[in-house]
Amino acid sequence: MVLMTGPPEIDPVLVRAAQRGDRIAVADLMDALAPYVGRVCGPIALHDGPDAAQEALIAILKNLRSLRDPGAIYGWARAIAVREAVRVARKAAQAVPAELTDVPAQGDPELAADVRDVLARLSPGHRAVLVLRDLEGLDEQAAGDLLNVPAGTVRSRLFRARRSFRKAWAP
Amino acid sequence: MNQEWPVAELDPVRRMRVIAAATPGVAYAEKLIPAPFSAVWAAASDLERELPRMITDLRSFEITSARGERMTAHASGRLGQRARFDVVLRPGWCVMQSRFLIGGMAAVPEAGGTRFAFLGGLRLPGMRLLGPVLRPAVRKLALRPISRLEHRLQAR
Repeated sequence: MVLMTGPPEIDPVLVRAAQRGDRIAVADLMDALAPYVGRVCGPIALHDGPDAAQEALIAILKNLRSLRDPGAIYGWARAIAVREAVRVARKAAQAVPAELTDVPAQGDPELAADVRDVLARLSPGHRAVLVLRDLEGLDEQAAGDLLNVPAGTVRSRLFRARRSFRKAWAP
Repeated sequence: MNQEWPVAELDPVRRMRVIAAATPGVAYAEKLIPAPFSAVWAAASDLERELPRMITDLRSFEITSARGERMTAHASGRLGQRARFDVVLRPGWCVMQSRFLIGGMAAVPEAGGTRFAFLGGLRLPGMRLLGPVLRPAVRKLALRPISRLEHRLQAR
């Protein structure tokens, strides 16, 4: 389920111009980052994804001056986007407790689910782990550092999240 | 079965909210205009004609060069002020800045018409400190240009 495709490179000159307060550069940088931020926030915040992406981009652009290395902008933006997406998803109280036993059994009509349906059965924290490991390719330690949880917690969340996908898509 | 991961999309009005929230001291407002997107944007994107009507301090706004969606323009104020603006203009989206000013418009179709956003303000170092204090007061300033645009669309 690894779907890593690298986002297009962002010109460090654009980042520097935005950091200096050039608002056209800020808008261009937002346009460049928005698809990536949307890919991170979408699976975590689901139908609150646009709110999460909006909040994430606000936090990213407000704190742009604290980014020292323009080459690190995606990793830096990803950390902010994941945190904002989890925060927005939790606030929206759409979190389903991480009980995955209600994943439909084989033959259940509800099995005609898409990724969104399976994700909706997970908590925002579980979805964040899936995004970081399976979409972004981070290792357990890096994912744990970003989410402020031990690597072991990442491993157990990932196990349960992946099991729900396997159940939903079993042939 | 759809195995695509969900992606969060940000429409132009949401993007303008981001710019407004990340820019200290700007006036920002949005409003649902009961007219179709095509009519609203046809009027709003005619910058030379419409901007001086929306912003009454502006005497003229003249596009001096254009390359795709990027343009430069010369603005003249009623009190004789002049400024060169860099402009980005595409369907539903416009941002512009001079040395001291920033402006923006965004529009998206919405049930009942078109959601229209307007942003304007000063680009000054002190705005980072003053911005939060000014924000409630300046919202009214951003609503006026939208209302002017709306009235003209209704009069057609």
